[in-house]
Amino acid sequence: MTPLQWGILASVLTLAVVVAAAAVLLYDVLNAIIAFATFSFGVAITWILFAAPDVALTEAAVGAGITTTLLLVTIARTVRQSGDRLLEEVNPRAAVTAILFAGLLATTVDNLPAVGSPQSPIATSSITSYYIENAYPETGVENAVTAVLAAYRGFDTLGEATVVIAAGLAVLVVLQQETYA
Amino acid sequence: MSNRSDTSSGARSRIEAESTDDPIYVESTVIMTTVRLVVPFIFTYGLFVMFHGADSAGGGFQGGVIVASTVLLVAFAFGIDATRRWIKGPLIRTAIATGGGVFILIGLGAVLIQGQFLEYAAYNVGTTGIKYGIELVELGIGAIVSGVLIGLFFTLAREDALTQESIDQRSSQEQHGGDHS
Repeated sequence: MTPLQWGILASVLTLAVVVAAAAVLLYDVLNAIIAFATFSFGVAITWILFAAPDVALTEAAVGAGITTTLLLVTIARTVRQSGDRLLEEVNPRAAVTAILFAGLLATTVDNLPAVGSPQSPIATSSITSYYIENAYPETGVENAVTAVLAAYRGFDTLGEATVVIAAGLAVLVVLQQETYA
Repeated sequence: MSNRSDTSSGARSRIEAESTDDPIYVESTVIMTTVRLVVPFIFTYGLFVMFHGADSAGGGFQGGVIVASTVLLVAFAFGIDATRRWIKGPLIRTAIATGGGVFILIGLGAVLIQGQFLEYAAYNVGTTGIKYGIELVELGIGAIVSGVLIGLFFTLAREDALTQESIDQRSSQEQHGGDHS
């Protein structure tokens, strides 16, 4: 990546961390939802910088777009707590636990391969080179991600599609029962 | 209520035959004009991401979400009830079922002609044929995803969606002993 891209990445990641904290801490749910959408937007730009446009597209469309809308529609149905408070009260024990857990995860960062490293396990795996060499001749599909998704791992994707259908139907059935209200 | 019809535009009156009693809908010329300009492009882009997922970034999941987001935009601009009357319930359910059906039928079709489940090569139509099989699967996934998301949105934002007034009414009824409910 060029220095300019590193600069953009650094500012976008900083923004993502700040708005993630805002989404947790803000008292008004509406503000938290807007902060959450901004977080998704920042993460989507990060994926673009890491040359993963498929994931970026999903993150932008699902995280920043649809999820925000569904959350907004949901808080329109529920009671929004009003008040002049800006921030949520923080439970000290929960905060310490969360910080300790984040610190634990941070200890693994040192062992991750560098961004774009040719020695990373994914780049050196024989499966990766198989897909890169054979995806186009075997399926005629130029996007190797799609070739893996729909052809090599088509059965997994059928499972995914079934999960989407089943989860959607389950939520629709529960919402139309209205017994939780 | 009456001043709504004065400012209503052609597109709005086409979508919405009768006036709506949607309590959370506020008409805005700016939003309506923007949405009317932008939605055809977003919809086309969503279809492009779905159809062209084999050759560029994207696929059924991403394209389906983008297509669904156009319906959400229309609902925000022209009212949720009006949009619901425009897109009937069976249409959404049919899209979900058709998407899942296409995926499974392509898989089972390969079994019928002595291949394995979802083995596109069994259809014996060359790599271009395999590619079109993958495209069909992606379209099926797109129909599932957009159908589930639009269905979720419409169910969450039903006509009986709780407004602040109805919540106040309900809670005052409960205070007077909800025996007459």
